[in-house]
Amino acid sequence: MDVIIESLPLYWEGFLRTLFLSAVSGVIALVLGTLLAAARVSPVAALRGFSTVYVEILRNTPLTIAFFFAAIVLPRLGVQFAQFEVAAIIALSSYTAAFIAEAVRSGVNSVPVGQAEAARSIGMNFGQVLNLIILPQALRTVIPPLINILIALVKNSSVAGAFFVLELFGYGRQLANANGDQVITVLLGTAFFYLLLTVPLGILASTVERKVAIAR
Amino acid sequence: MTTQVPGDSLVSLTAVNKHYGQLHVLKDINLNVRKGEVVVVIGPSGSGKSTLCRAINRLETIEDGTISIDGKVLPSEGKELAQLRADVGMVFQSFNLFAHKTILENVTLGPIKVKGVAKTTADKDAMALLERVGVGHQAPKLPAQLSGGQQQRVAIARALAMKPKVMLFDEPTSALDPEMINEVLDVMVQLAKEGMTMIVVTHEMGFARKAADRVVFMADGQIVEDATPEEFFTNPKSDRAKDFLSKLLTH
Repeated sequence: MDVIIESLPLYWEGFLRTLFLSAVSGVIALVLGTLLAAARVSPVAALRGFSTVYVEILRNTPLTIAFFFAAIVLPRLGVQFAQFEVAAIIALSSYTAAFIAEAVRSGVNSVPVGQAEAARSIGMNFGQVLNLIILPQALRTVIPPLINILIALVKNSSVAGAFFVLELFGYGRQLANANGDQVITVLLGTAFFYLLLTVPLGILASTVERKVAIAR
Repeated sequence: MTTQVPGDSLVSLTAVNKHYGQLHVLKDINLNVRKGEVVVVIGPSGSGKSTLCRAINRLETIEDGTISIDGKVLPSEGKELAQLRADVGMVFQSFNLFAHKTILENVTLGPIKVKGVAKTTADKDAMALLERVGVGHQAPKLPAQLSGGQQQRVAIARALAMKPKVMLFDEPTSALDPEMINEVLDVMVQLAKEGMTMIVVTHEMGFARKAADRVVFMADGQIVEDATPEEFFTNPKSDRAKDFLSKLLTH
């Protein structure tokens, strides 16, 4: 146990960086994912095509490849980052956005088609139908899968540890290397800090779900 | 058999055709509805009457022919279509009230967001409409808290709030319990008396007799008869219509 207590400052620093990576990537992914879902149901064929291709590629390739691309290929193409965090955020948010797009799309499909027809029949345009009628109702069914995706994002952020970003898992690995006799304790400590992030997300999910439940 | 009405037709369909795959669901439809006219469309299920009604505000696309509203040809997409739809009120079989909005918001949303009416004005107009259809006291509730008949009356108020030139009713009472049908029909009869142009797809023959100026009988995607209610019910010309009416009367 001593190793955990002695290393608390390091754990804490790693925890904060994981929190930062997850929060920033999460927000970007939510925005990007919603836009992709909107493109996927839009009347413009080019937008639908782009969204489909994006989602299929990012969803069906390993996260590590997204990281390689952001951290190594992009700089070679001339995109320079001051910090590797930026690359990590690009990789995490573009990857997660694909899953969010699919979740939002399934939510959109769960809203009865009559809602959109009624909205169109009073003269609303595509954007208004989506923003005022469909998305607010879709959100209610989408919250549980969205939280699942965000929990996965928190855990996926550990991949950043392998790409020069010292976050929680990165520090955990350093500590394990430095304390070869207490690897299990160190890893349990690491796991505990991840739980500190993910368990409240799960609780948030069930609270929000209860609050926004809607009668039909 | 269609009577072509010359002059100031508000809704005009010319040689409209539509297929669902192999099924020819609208066959060369010609129909003119004048301002203030109440046209009731009846016919057996699958005859294309709902499709006809939905095509008039382009919830269903058509393959050829033209549909025009107040002289303007129905555009296929975009802003012009949205603007034209704002002039055409639609009432659905399944009400389709916005489930996440209150009754009042259901009625004010269109005027505020589509027409840019100020909220206070929209609220006032909406309350007047809700009072008129007899559900004013339900304004702060959500749709699911209302009975079917009440929901349908709110749906009528929602459509009226846009001050439409014509109202389309797609089987407005078919999803209702029998004891709620009359409360909705009463509102519709009142509307007809006030001079609203209406196209009503329904199985309520009582309404057709009472409020219709014309009855259009459809079968197999075609308009088979187009006559006054009296003429149609007492002296139907086609065998198809005679057959349909005899089935109604035996029960």
